[in-house]
Amino acid sequence: MPLLADVTLRHPPPGARRRTAGSTLARRFLGNGMVGLMSQEAPSRLRLHDLQLAQANRTVLEHVDGRFRDGATTALIGANGTGKSTLIQGIMGMLKPVAGRVECTVPRERRAWLPQQLALDLTFPMSVEELVMTGSWPSHGAHKGYCAHHYRRGREVMARLGISHLAHRPLGELSGGQRQRALIGRTLMQEAELLLLDEPFANVDTETVDVLMTVLRDMAASGVTLIVVLHDMEQLSRLADEAVVLANGHAHWTSPQTILQGQISVASAATLSLGMPGVSA
Amino acid sequence: MIELLHEWLVAPFDYGFMRRAAVGGLALSLAAPPMGVFLMLRGMSLIGDAMAHAILPGVALGFLLAGFSLPAMSLGGILSGLLVAMLAGSVSQMTGHREDSAMASFFLISLAAGVMLVSLGGSSVDLTHVLFGSILAVNSTALILIAAISSVIVITLALIFRALVVECLDPLFLRGQGTHGGLVHGIFLGLVVLNLTAGFQTLGTLMAVGLMMLPATTARFWSKRLEGLIGIAVVLAMVASTGGLLLSYHLSIPSGPAIILLAGVGYMLSALFGRHHSLLARLRRHAAPLGAPEPH
Repeated sequence: MPLLADVTLRHPPPGARRRTAGSTLARRFLGNGMVGLMSQEAPSRLRLHDLQLAQANRTVLEHVDGRFRDGATTALIGANGTGKSTLIQGIMGMLKPVAGRVECTVPRERRAWLPQQLALDLTFPMSVEELVMTGSWPSHGAHKGYCAHHYRRGREVMARLGISHLAHRPLGELSGGQRQRALIGRTLMQEAELLLLDEPFANVDTETVDVLMTVLRDMAASGVTLIVVLHDMEQLSRLADEAVVLANGHAHWTSPQTILQGQISVASAATLSLGMPGVSA
Repeated sequence: MIELLHEWLVAPFDYGFMRRAAVGGLALSLAAPPMGVFLMLRGMSLIGDAMAHAILPGVALGFLLAGFSLPAMSLGGILSGLLVAMLAGSVSQMTGHREDSAMASFFLISLAAGVMLVSLGGSSVDLTHVLFGSILAVNSTALILIAAISSVIVITLALIFRALVVECLDPLFLRGQGTHGGLVHGIFLGLVVLNLTAGFQTLGTLMAVGLMMLPATTARFWSKRLEGLIGIAVVLAMVASTGGLLLSYHLSIPSGPAIILLAGVGYMLSALFGRHHSLLARLRRHAAPLGAPEPH
């Protein structure tokens, strides 16, 4: 696939190497290269327009311009506190932008978000199958009964995630990895078109990581737009098609390869916004 | 033997007031325990108690204005219960304090106001009636009211059931689906108020919450599934309300406390001998071997 970010990075705007204040730089950085180029590219159901997001009156991100390609997996990368979760909340419409806007043509009920701190009440007496079946909400709502066809789909989803044997197990008795599989199962039932995952592989064993990677790759292949917060380099190389580095209140679209080639380490990604090392490929 | 059983269990229901009280109790036993199960699962077991106090001033006001008229007292109870629930909710939203602290403040104010109102307008006998209920007072109007409210509760609960379950389990998911979780929560609290109002006639305002919470907390010792919890709680409530009425008849004790104490005995026994988490279950730890089929 064309790595648009490379193009941008090879031709940094003149100011990119100067240590200018982040905001003007980022606007030029993204405005000149990326946005112009990308608008002729693959379709996108999710675009951010000069977005500014704040938590409790403190601006976390500003001048975020960009788009997430349909059917691609975009990794969100950044140190703690750089605004990964804030950006996700903004995209999900849980956080009202201070300025700019999120343009998302995915209907609300087809967007799914698995936050790191789950709001899930694990003491609630519900089985894995029942949790997966709640993913039918977009098609069934609060009242329509589930038919045999839907139960069959639920079982297929569980089989795909390797949790068929846990169908009747209460949620409270699951391991972290099993729970994560069940929750991904719910998004599959939901037929999510936009899936945002906040560190989905934290506290999960390698086998679960493999299963989830396969499922997520299949979802992307079928056209789902995936945005995944990642910290692990190996997971980045295996999963991501594109990467967005968050630093100093700005977002920078780049390619996983650029990061993986070691020119930009995630730890030093913060310097990216200042046009520091590794920008020229 | 048969005669003795007949005398103890059947003969009391020859009286009309016992029959009406029993039917009212059974109707309440269908509606109240599911509410209690949801309150318990949301960690709001004590909210029911707070709500029970909240309906008191309205009941008292109805009593002052219209005498011992159940519709007037019920209407007052519903209104003051809803008012307190909304006030507590909005105060906690405005101040950012937790809802339970606002609720605690309001229910104490309500209790004081209610007791004050009753003693202003009536005697201590009236106060006992309102606080602890009286089976003798269940006439046909009361019975119809109880049955109607119970039906409304059961039907509404069936309508919001899935939304309520998803809201309890994962409010964020429901919000993402564009369904207002707060609305579901509000309807649910409204049902709790309705339920307590329906119950105060036989059980009294303070005891009505017992038929809601005790069967629910008892059921937790016997089932780990939502359907199981609700089913068991309903059966327990039916046994307790009928048994309590019989005890109250034979031993000449107030009906409300008799019903709730019987449910309480069930709770204690279950805590000792129940299937899950009880003292006995703790002593006799048992685990299925690896590879055994999953229990349904």
